[in-house]
Amino acid sequence: MFKFFSACRKESLILIRDMAGLIILFVMPMIMVVILALVQEQGWSSLTKDPSIPVLLVDEDHDTLGAKIQEGLRSSNIFKVYTSLDGINLTREVAKEEIAKGAYNIAVIIPKGSTKIIRHKVQVMVTQIVSGIMMPVDNPFLDIQSNDSINIAVYFDPGIKGTFKYAFMASMKEYSMFIESSMIFDSFNSELKKMFPQYQPPKSDYRETVYFSEIFPAGKDENAVPSTTQHNVPAWALFAMFFIVIPMTGSMIKEREEGSMVRIYTMPVSYLTIFMAKVSVYTMVCIIQFILMVLAGRFVLPLAKIPPLTIGSNYFGILLMMIASSLAALGFAIAVGTIARTHQQAAAFGVVSVVVFTALGGLWVPVYLMPEVMRTIATWSPLNWAHVGFIDLFLRQATLVDILPPLAKLLAFFVVMISIALFYRRINSPLNS
Amino acid sequence: MSDKVIIEIRELVKVYKGSEEPAIKGISLDIFQGEIFGLLGPNGAGKTTTISILCGLFRATKGSARIDGMDIHSNLNEIKKIIGVVPQDVALYPTLTAWENLTFFGNMYGLKGASLKQKIAEGMAVFGLEKHADKKIANCSGGIKRRINLIAGLLHDPKVIFLDEPTVGIDVQSRVVILEYLKELNQKGTTVIYTSHYMEEAERLCTRVAIIDRGRVISMGNPHELVAEHPEFKDLENIFLHLTGKDLRD
Repeated sequence: MFKFFSACRKESLILIRDMAGLIILFVMPMIMVVILALVQEQGWSSLTKDPSIPVLLVDEDHDTLGAKIQEGLRSSNIFKVYTSLDGINLTREVAKEEIAKGAYNIAVIIPKGSTKIIRHKVQVMVTQIVSGIMMPVDNPFLDIQSNDSINIAVYFDPGIKGTFKYAFMASMKEYSMFIESSMIFDSFNSELKKMFPQYQPPKSDYRETVYFSEIFPAGKDENAVPSTTQHNVPAWALFAMFFIVIPMTGSMIKEREEGSMVRIYTMPVSYLTIFMAKVSVYTMVCIIQFILMVLAGRFVLPLAKIPPLTIGSNYFGILLMMIASSLAALGFAIAVGTIARTHQQAAAFGVVSVVVFTALGGLWVPVYLMPEVMRTIATWSPLNWAHVGFIDLFLRQATLVDILPPLAKLLAFFVVMISIALFYRRINSPLNS
Repeated sequence: MSDKVIIEIRELVKVYKGSEEPAIKGISLDIFQGEIFGLLGPNGAGKTTTISILCGLFRATKGSARIDGMDIHSNLNEIKKIIGVVPQDVALYPTLTAWENLTFFGNMYGLKGASLKQKIAEGMAVFGLEKHADKKIANCSGGIKRRINLIAGLLHDPKVIFLDEPTVGIDVQSRVVILEYLKELNQKGTTVIYTSHYMEEAERLCTRVAIIDRGRVISMGNPHELVAEHPEFKDLENIFLHLTGKDLRD
């Protein structure tokens, strides 16, 4: 056993002596997690906290619809509405030009007479209904038609993402529906007043009745809304953890090239001892990396006014998940390091495959947004298993039994990767050359 | 030197994967306990291949070899405990110090604690390396690296030492110290198997030499006796050139 500990000591010393390597191993992933979490969190949180997306609004209507849409956009806290540029009121042409040259992303044109059309349409509809009540038979108003429609033009920068366009159009439709409903409410009051002069319309305005609230039944506090940090920190931490493929393969290939491995082959020590010592030391590296990234999520991100990462209370489960994820990452690194003949091969294949695993695992685009085929493929990514495990632990108060499936998959992945490495080494051993 | 055969090689053949020409073609020889045995030959003659098979780095395609009565295929782990290997290239960790390297390799031979420390200290003292103990290998000169490379293979007092060109690329002083130490070890009963291109060095050091060329042993014996048998050549180098020819080798 002391040969194993001696090999662990040797690996640790080699790691500690390489200061640049240590910085890359521990500091760079932290920086990456903080920056990526900041970019993503602030990107989405700006939609609710800081109105920063500029919208050009050309109000040719100058009536209720224009005013309500402007009010709706402003009160959404998502958009910063511009009705003039450099002190000059916006026109349709100027707005179109600004979007075309990419200075702004969205422009909304509310055509002249829009409110009048809505009002007319609502009045026709209300009159028909009210007169139907008064004159159920031979109602002369039934033949009146109002097929006028309003076309609110929305110009988008071609670079805007489809999902964002969809969300914006949905908001616009919501505002116009609300305005129409308000007008129907007002018209009814007005018609009722005409029919019953003693009728006193209610003083309150029309209000929405249906509201939506976010509830998270898996958490301790159902009203506590998980921030994107909860997704981002474990996702990027795992991404960084799998990048252990670079230093690990580097260490393996260097040992082969320097000849020290040849000397070890002539000594009375099994390759497995040397190999497991390397795995043990690098497992510690991965765990420390992950802890540092979690600490960054808890203590560094709040400095940028981002909600801190919450990690639940199943610390033993988290430790097991960290070990299993590290082993999966190292198993992959060992397989690559055994098969690759040069640093270049290992680095190129390692980096590209980690990026592919990450993308497939739903760490960039959530799995539920992927096409069905990709969703099936995602369930084969070790990063997906690890991410699912951590999300369950952090947000769903998962027990050890709950995380057994991802744990088992990660450990199985490690065993498969090690088996591939050992098999490859056996058939390509210098002994058989 | 005793009469006991410590290394017995019979019809050893090695054909590398992807190569049609065997690197060694049926080498047979006996090496006696306490010998300093030189394997001499031009580049590509098969010296390193022979040593690599004996110390378990390569598997022979055909033939057999026994070290201290143990078959190299079936008793490799036991054989590894009694042999010491000093590879041709410096096989040390550059970012570890000389002491740390020797501690690690000593541990891999099963040595530990005070006895290992004493062994390392002795080895460093013999080669005048005391002041370099805490120096990283990367910062050491070629001669110092070679000497540490040698100590790493001798820490466990092996019965048999394989040295693959241990004096290549070092100054005369380092070479003398290494050769003197090998003689000293040999006097204590250690069998030394050694490859070299330096004929004069082999003539001075070895009790017997085998001249290998194109995978075969073409001559074997005590270097002085070989010179005496060929009075037309004044030294081993001329005999070597006569036997192997003057053509340049790959």
